[in-house]
Amino acid sequence: MSSHREAPEISKDPVADSTDLYAFVSPDKPDSVTLIANYIPLEEPAGGPNFYEFGGDLLYNIHIDNNGDGEPDITYQFHFETVLTDSDSFLYNTGPITSLTDKTWNSKQMYSVERVDRRGVHVLGRRLLCPPCNIGPLSTPNYESALGRPAVHSLSGGIKVFAGQRAEQFYVDLGSIFDLANLRPLQSANVFAHALGLGNMPGVNATNHLNVHSIAIQVPISDLKAKGRPTIGVWTSASRRAVSVAGSDGEDGVASGPWRQVSRLGNPLFNEVIVPLGKKDYWNHQPPVHDKQFASYVAHPELASLLPVIYPAIPPGSAPFANLAALVKSGKPRADLEAILLTGIPPGIVKGFTNFTGPTQADMLRLNTSIPPTPTSSPKYNVLGLVAGDPAGFPNGRRIADDVVTIELRAIAGLTYPLVNPSYQVDAVVNALTDGLTGASVTNGPLGQFPYMGIPYDGYHNPS
Amino acid sequence: MSGPDDLTAATTPVPATQGPLSRRSVLRTAAGASLAAGALAATNVPALAATTRSAARHDTADHAAAGHAAAGHAAASHDADGPIVVHLRDARTGEIDIFRGTSQTRLHDHALAALLIRASR
Repeated sequence: MSSHREAPEISKDPVADSTDLYAFVSPDKPDSVTLIANYIPLEEPAGGPNFYEFGGDLLYNIHIDNNGDGEPDITYQFHFETVLTDSDSFLYNTGPITSLTDKTWNSKQMYSVERVDRRGVHVLGRRLLCPPCNIGPLSTPNYESALGRPAVHSLSGGIKVFAGQRAEQFYVDLGSIFDLANLRPLQSANVFAHALGLGNMPGVNATNHLNVHSIAIQVPISDLKAKGRPTIGVWTSASRRAVSVAGSDGEDGVASGPWRQVSRLGNPLFNEVIVPLGKKDYWNHQPPVHDKQFASYVAHPELASLLPVIYPAIPPGSAPFANLAALVKSGKPRADLEAILLTGIPPGIVKGFTNFTGPTQADMLRLNTSIPPTPTSSPKYNVLGLVAGDPAGFPNGRRIADDVVTIELRAIAGLTYPLVNPSYQVDAVVNALTDGLTGASVTNGPLGQFPYMGIPYDGYHNPS
Repeated sequence: MSGPDDLTAATTPVPATQGPLSRRSVLRTAAGASLAAGALAATNVPALAATTRSAARHDTADHAAAGHAAAGHAAASHDADGPIVVHLRDARTGEIDIFRGTSQTRLHDHALAALLIRASR
């Protein structure tokens, strides 16, 4: 997955588990950037009676580096709090919830948002209400108009913010990919699937009809970028207090000490696919500025060496990944992947494009804010982003519908290596690599306006 | 920092409820409460803080995540009067962490370490 349950430790702490991060120039407000950090993976819509909510004991952050040193220059911090209307009831709601202030909603969640920069801590909003989870037509009628949309809060300075449940927008065929890197559309060539006689078939979106919790903030570009530097680096993190003592005999527990980072996310799939299992938890505790220690895993990705082994023949008799296998065997570092994931793409590599932030190697989602959004109606729009000639898409930031699984799969398979070695011949099969999904694989797709994440699936209509 | 008084405290058994408030009584309370993770009332703190303050140590990632002097987090002021948790990291070296609010203080105090160990038995 992008970063769902991507490391052993965080897989046991869902409320702190960052699943996806998006950063894009707002298509309907191009003087602003929208940043979305998703948490709580694989929410089952019918997951009551205690429906999903953010952790009140966590500090959620969205960081922005605007001078290329891998350190945050601006951080938006979010603190959540849950308030019960009637603590003697076991119910999440005691009747239809028709507004955010409805007393029938028993378990309300609210939050504060602060901007932290070198000038200090600036409170942007307090006691901002989240929407309830989408339970069903009886409990949460007219969900988006009555509850979702009113939870978009306009703050001073042209900032908008939203925090709450949304439909998962990341699409991926988990059931197949985690079954020995199988891609259903190509599985007749997978050495294991071939042995079972499995024929090619369409991909299946394993995250469809599931929800996540989104923290979304829309900020004027001028609030984020440094003078003369249009590219920003973005990542999210969640932190817990250093120590906690469990409560007993009716007494509350204790949490104390500095905030300790337990989860982070910049580029999709970085920790999931690049970092080895033994270092995934460690990676989650590290700041991007220390990512040089992981650069060798980017330069020599394990998946690149596995593809020629798992797909030895497409069609039978050929060697579809012959060039990739030779590249891996050569031991040459993948400078293309290092640029895409760790420094941004320097000028002169892709005509008219750069999101280079400097030599500091740090896993950040890099967005060149001077590149205007590509309208979805434009022939230039492509969910494969930059590799398909659409510079407004990943890895220039990340839009909600971008097909990051296919992009990164093809990049690791050698598609982007000619950027640094023009004589390299990409294996023909690379352009066919896909798990078979597109943005259309998401039933509740993205909205046309902030917070852009789709309307969450309700439990009544999506019970399993 | 630790000195002869601390050594005496560390080698002399004392009742956990002994008063009045002093550094020693605070430590006894801490040890008696739950040893390495003893939660103390903030009102018991000043003497301890005055004698053991050392450079606060911040987690590497969160120090970077803060990234700016102001990012000690507003939350620090929210719970500065909250409980204190004492963590005996290494009994041999007397390395002890004290957590209060969003701060962490590291000290080396053999006497206090010995006291905590004895109180836990």
